[in-house]
Amino acid sequence: MGSAIEAINLTKYYDDLLAVDHVNFEVEQGEIFGFLGPNGAGKTTTIRMLTGISRPTEGTATIIGYDIQRRSVSAKEQMGIVPDVSNVYKDLSAWDNLVFTGKLYDMPKALRESRAEELLKMFGLYERRKEKVKGFSRGMKRRICIAMALMNRSHILFLDEPTSGLDVQSVLIIRDLIRKLNQQGLTIFLTTHNIEEASQMCDRVAIINHGKIATIDTPEKLKRTVESLQSVEVAFEATPQNALKELEELPQVSEAVKQGDKFRLFTRDPSSVLASTWNYAQNNNLKLITVNTVGPSLEDVFVKLTGIKPATAEEEPEKMGHGKAQKMTGRKEQQ
Amino acid sequence: MKDVHSSHLGREIRVAWAIAVKDMRTYYTQPPSIMFGILFPFSLFLSFSIGRNLPLVTQIPILVSQTLFFASSSIGPVVIPIERADQTFDRFLTSPVSLLAILMGKTLGGIIYGAGISIIPVLVGIVFFGSQITNLGALIACFALSSLAFSALGIMFASIPGQTVGQVMMPLNFVRIPLLFISGVFTPIRELPTWMQAVTMLSPLTHTVELARYSSGGETFFGPLVNIAVLTFYAAIFLFMGIRFHTMNQRKE
Repeated sequence: MGSAIEAINLTKYYDDLLAVDHVNFEVEQGEIFGFLGPNGAGKTTTIRMLTGISRPTEGTATIIGYDIQRRSVSAKEQMGIVPDVSNVYKDLSAWDNLVFTGKLYDMPKALRESRAEELLKMFGLYERRKEKVKGFSRGMKRRICIAMALMNRSHILFLDEPTSGLDVQSVLIIRDLIRKLNQQGLTIFLTTHNIEEASQMCDRVAIINHGKIATIDTPEKLKRTVESLQSVEVAFEATPQNALKELEELPQVSEAVKQGDKFRLFTRDPSSVLASTWNYAQNNNLKLITVNTVGPSLEDVFVKLTGIKPATAEEEPEKMGHGKAQKMTGRKEQQ
Repeated sequence: MKDVHSSHLGREIRVAWAIAVKDMRTYYTQPPSIMFGILFPFSLFLSFSIGRNLPLVTQIPILVSQTLFFASSSIGPVVIPIERADQTFDRFLTSPVSLLAILMGKTLGGIIYGAGISIIPVLVGIVFFGSQITNLGALIACFALSSLAFSALGIMFASIPGQTVGQVMMPLNFVRIPLLFISGVFTPIRELPTWMQAVTMLSPLTHTVELARYSSGGETFFGPLVNIAVLTFYAAIFLFMGIRFHTMNQRKE
């Protein structure tokens, strides 16, 4: 099967700032491709170049074989785009939003009206088709935005943070829809901050950092590359005040992180840590209510490759004048 | 090959028309469009005409010219910054249509708004004040060329990369308001010194006023052919510059 999207040395400078640095990747037809990266890594700039909004400083991209710069009309006919903001026409009705999108793709009247009806029914919005979109909830606007991207029966769907800021029901509806569309043969290019979402949905993921691709692989293969990030998750019935500090001092524990009412103890040797945690609980008269050994998650891979540290998140409140933010993680030199 | 080209052109025209119709439905009644396109020229006209003992019939061409000027040039600077802020302008850039067709659609929106508003004083003059159209061709040329030139002027200014109407409207008004004073609106061109007459020649609004007066039996200082030629020249320049500036913007995106 040929490639749906190909980025070749894609580069973007904003004056002297290098936002995207000679990015190369290929997305196969029919796959769900996740594009992950921290804020400012170059995700949105890349997506804007791939979709023809922004022109690359160097390099090029092809969409189903069409160069996005030289054959932009043919390339744009192949794709639908859902940006991070639901860019719907708030003063038009749901119906008019879809019909207008059909007009932008020069669809004949009968075809655009039947497609608009089909999509509004699919998204559960047909009964409200005559209402102006400005009265819709955020989740409903998101659904309209996705429906607009599907009007032209494109081959590729670009989704930039499709579930960000939505309620659980809308998130489930949209994830289910993405899977169904993919099963029907649509190639999905998914940008998301939600690493678990990417792990569950994507055939392959690319991680971009500082404008460069750090890695591209399947989620499971990526997890295997960081086997050293195994951990033991424990929870006590009653948590002592200095538990985090004491747990990180246990033998073979390289790092301890408090996650809600649980502690995650990173180690290369989970069985030793299990034994020492058991002893720690016995010695301190603590009742263990949860003990799990946890393999590395895609988030762990992401953190390792992008170099993001939990301390970075802690520094933010201090910058904002909340210097007393409680320290939630402990680190010590590798034994 | 010819079929491919004609079908491509047909598609561009249909999409441009769809954009213009959408702008009419969505933005014509927005407060900034009414404020800068209708209230502004009417207020200026009233402040000029009240207290001056001039017959209303002679003042109608001035009102027509001012509404053509302000209404046509206001739609682009209202629509484009709002669409940039809502990111709906990106919809056009990702749709399979050229930037030229998008800007033609936007220009058409300004033309229809300007011409539609400006026809009202013409009709009021004919029905209630006995003014006459002695040269329909001149009136049509006045409406067509002026609304095109001024709408293109608005689109050109809307290339200023702002996300609020004020960011575009303010620099536009720095140009529009001084033009009122060098366009023979308040003082007949014949009464101006020679160097000032040369300056008025450069203003596109001068030629709108002249054609509007000429169409209702008044005189034109430069002659209707010069008026038409200058307005055509400005329409072409504003369209060309507008497309160029918007293309440059897209490169910077």
